[in-house]
Amino acid sequence: MQLRDYILRRVIILPILILGVSIIVFVLTRVGGSPIGIYLSHEMTPDEVAQIEARFNLDQPVWVQYIYWARGIFQGDFGWSGVAAAPVTDVFPNKLAATMELAIASGLVAVFLGISLGTYAGARRNRLPDHATRIVAVSGASLPQFWFGILLLIVFWANLGLAPIGRSDASIWSSISHPTGIYTVDAILAGSISAFWDAIWHLILPALTLGYGATAIIARMMRSSLVEELQQDYVDAARAKGLAERIVLRRHARRNALVPTVTVIGLTFGFLLQGTITVEIIFRWPGLGRWMADSVLRGDQATLMTYVLFTSVLFLLVNLVVDVIYAYLDRRVTLGK
Amino acid sequence: MTESYKPSLQPWQSGEARESALRVRLNRFMGLIQRLVSNPTTVMGLAVIVSMIGIAIFAPWIAEPNFPDPYQMPRDWGAVRKPPGTPGHILGTTNVGGDVFYGVIWGSRKSLQLSLMVVGSTVVIGTIIGSLAGLLGGWVDEVLMRIVDVFLSIPELIFALAIAAVLGPSFTNIVFALSVVLWVKYARIMRAQVIQTKQNEYVDAARVIGDSKLNIYLRDILPNSITPVTVQATLDMGNVVLIGATLSFIGLSEAGIAEWGVLVSEGQAGIASGRWWASTFPGLMIFLWALAFNLVGDGLRDALDPRTEGR
Amino acid sequence: MQPVDQEKAVQARPRPASVASVRNLRVYFQSKRGMVHAVDGVSFDIYDGETLGLVGETGCGKSVTGRSFLKLLPVPPGKIASGSIQFKPHATCRNCDGNGCPSCEGTGRQSAANSRGRSNEKGIRDSVDAEIVELLEIGREEMRRIRGDRIAMIFQDPGKALNPTLPISEQLSEVFLLHRTSELLEAAGLPASTGGALRRFASQEQRFGDSLLMALPPNRAFRNRLVGALNKMVIEALGDTQVPNPAKLMARYPHELSGGMKQRVMIAQALACNPDILIADEPTTALDVTVEARILELIKELQKKRRTSVLYISHDLSLVRRICDRVAVMYAGKVVEIGSTDAIFRDPRHPYTRGLISAVPSAGARRGELAAIRGTVPELVDPAPTCRFAGRCPFEADSCRRFEPELKPVSNGHAVACFIDSAAPSGRQPTFQSAAV
Repeated sequence: MQLRDYILRRVIILPILILGVSIIVFVLTRVGGSPIGIYLSHEMTPDEVAQIEARFNLDQPVWVQYIYWARGIFQGDFGWSGVAAAPVTDVFPNKLAATMELAIASGLVAVFLGISLGTYAGARRNRLPDHATRIVAVSGASLPQFWFGILLLIVFWANLGLAPIGRSDASIWSSISHPTGIYTVDAILAGSISAFWDAIWHLILPALTLGYGATAIIARMMRSSLVEELQQDYVDAARAKGLAERIVLRRHARRNALVPTVTVIGLTFGFLLQGTITVEIIFRWPGLGRWMADSVLRGDQATLMTYVLFTSVLFLLVNLVVDVIYAYLDRRVTLGK
Repeated sequence: MTESYKPSLQPWQSGEARESALRVRLNRFMGLIQRLVSNPTTVMGLAVIVSMIGIAIFAPWIAEPNFPDPYQMPRDWGAVRKPPGTPGHILGTTNVGGDVFYGVIWGSRKSLQLSLMVVGSTVVIGTIIGSLAGLLGGWVDEVLMRIVDVFLSIPELIFALAIAAVLGPSFTNIVFALSVVLWVKYARIMRAQVIQTKQNEYVDAARVIGDSKLNIYLRDILPNSITPVTVQATLDMGNVVLIGATLSFIGLSEAGIAEWGVLVSEGQAGIASGRWWASTFPGLMIFLWALAFNLVGDGLRDALDPRTEGR
Repeated sequence: MQPVDQEKAVQARPRPASVASVRNLRVYFQSKRGMVHAVDGVSFDIYDGETLGLVGETGCGKSVTGRSFLKLLPVPPGKIASGSIQFKPHATCRNCDGNGCPSCEGTGRQSAANSRGRSNEKGIRDSVDAEIVELLEIGREEMRRIRGDRIAMIFQDPGKALNPTLPISEQLSEVFLLHRTSELLEAAGLPASTGGALRRFASQEQRFGDSLLMALPPNRAFRNRLVGALNKMVIEALGDTQVPNPAKLMARYPHELSGGMKQRVMIAQALACNPDILIADEPTTALDVTVEARILELIKELQKKRRTSVLYISHDLSLVRRICDRVAVMYAGKVVEIGSTDAIFRDPRHPYTRGLISAVPSAGARRGELAAIRGTVPELVDPAPTCRFAGRCPFEADSCRRFEPELKPVSNGHAVACFIDSAAPSGRQPTFQSAAV
């Protein structure tokens, strides 16, 4: 099967790309000063320093150092986080859960809203809804997320007092445990409606901030691919069969227009991931992004590099999955080219 | 007929072909301008860009430069946390008495510097590497493109953030980090274009008359491959400022400089006490800047794409 | 070709009645430079059971004319400015109730000649009851019911006219779900009064949650019966187009089929409901010659079986000569000559028709004698009232540049829009002798 070959090819390339990313990350760790800086002090003699260097294999050639470093990564040794005052691997899962909750919530909103808006605009090309969507799309791509978030806070938090900041209200959550770390799920598991609402309530503004740009990207793509599909002969052929316009749109054009939109959804994932950094700063959301930003400012390299490595691998995997779905959906694409 | 084989293109023909190619290009260019101007949103974007650049150029006359470093925010300790409309501080002041208006004006210089330097360097690097890959092909192409793939595997902002972080917080490092991250897009676009252009007849014509490879590249291939690069570059003029401001916002610029991202970040602290202005105005400038280049970039793409004609 | 049979058939039928008459149709397109008169006052009839060829160069308005029957124009920029298309649908044959009998030649239809509106006794098959339908004035819903049922269309490129992401069976089923809901219910053993999710399923009107309803026990069995009946209809329709192994074809996607196969699927889809008129817009242009011949044969055969009239749109004169009973020649948005195929090819009266015919290479012509019409088609932006062919015509005289010739009969059923046969009000008249050498 062609599709199988294509997937195979992509899966074979994946480790090569991950290797490349790891080399970049390794180079960055070496550029950013001695990796053993936190163990050194001025009172140490050169001999003692050399001893420590030897312990961390810094007396070896660079490529050997890389292999030791990579082996450590494989064994789950991501180093010590100065910011969290704990091994990176200890803190990571909790922060990841917080970030994922935010990213997934805004991702779902963006996919749903983006596709609806794009369809609505594309089906009414050059009319008012289309122009309105175009404004949303272009402004969404140009809007600095951190500014948009602050504007929302100014209005809804500082002035109207409608929205909370942070991730949860401690008084509500004091008796609820966190088996998953995803608060909405935790609340459901605990059977607490007030906690669930609290989780949603805290999620709305950050998800809106994060999701707006992604909505714009998806809506724009959906619109243009729908416009393209609507000009195809098969749409007229479907009309000639006697199909009602809404069925032509729903069953034929929109379905096919979704196919190229899928690839954009993959890219949007990267957009959402990197967007969490500023959004988490602004809304004091205790996730990976804010941890990352703190680490950047306080020179916590272990955290920074783990984060880069992790997001890149995640990004690669998501895009692999998306491309495979795309290839599967679109039987017109010539595979393996 | 069979004995006297004629190559499809004679030396004297190639000059003509090239001349007509030039004329065609000129006509196309005029048509392009016409289509650009006929799109109202593009014109709007252009107007904003022109005024932004105007503000950047005339900044010393609009807001008196701070001494000794005009890119450092002036501090007026006598007017701290003043709202917009305060005499002398029309857009208000920050926590530390920085004039928001001054930041808005001089920030445009920072943004112009940032976008010109980053887009300039990435276009040059990307074009050279993409052209090499496209022209030489074979293993050179393979290796270069795998490197490009690796660079594209790391989300832009996170990559730039990591580079800027290890180099230490400074505006120059942001410029450097963005240049390292963004050249790959151009390399990819350029490679695809060169491979396509290479197959054109006028390139064969130039080859037949024995033009040097460099000449063929500079005179025939490059000018015919560069259009998509210009579209991307236009869009990036906006994006770069967006990403750069984000990095500044996170804290990777020097504190206290007249840069929009820094100003938004520093103004953030005041919003709880109702001081909305310190973040709002600089952020608005970032938005307008990015919006203008996005509009023009879109307009340019539409104007260049024959398929959208008459839409 | 069997001229004897054809003659018999013509004699057996009463005088030709038209299933559709186009009168003074004008279709305009808004463009940046002004109104393009794509179709500018076209009139013709389609007779019952005939094949009418609509010939002309690219951009002469023939496709737009064809599409106007189904209102399949891009609106905006296109717009039907004026005119009428009257459609006289067939009635079910009274003697056999649509099952086929000698009096209706086995088609189950009454010929349009003695049609007195569609009988509605069965109350099922007739989605259109009116005696005469004004296609340009009916509402969207009525038009929707005519499309694919009474008037069907096949397109130029079968590869593009089939949805690439749906299997063949689903695309064909749509026609039955739309126009044969009652028959489907009947075939599945359900009462005609069936409503709810089942009916919605049988008419492709599913709502959110219906798929769940249909998967549950009481409906599930009926659904399977409906699907069975539907598949039977699809297989039958495909079988009619002589595709080998239609059952196997159903699960395929368009890109897995050859061009000829795809066009057969399109034809099966178009003829599934026994339409009264089939609009064939260059259906073989995208196919190679051997496939073309077979497709044409197929259309011809199915048409005869079903008493379907075909409007065959083509730029290929030799092809039109082979398959059409009558020919209308279009030029720059106007019909310039119309008549029986025989008359047109034996004695073409319009200079443009003559040019077209002599431009067709024939085995008899000597090498190097391939004639071409000089010049190009004029722009149709706000055209002046002159002969559209003036400027390209080898016979033109000054009257041609001052007046606009109208379609005037020259012999029985043969009409020409040229001053050669019917003199202009004044000025020097063109003749076939006046050709500039």
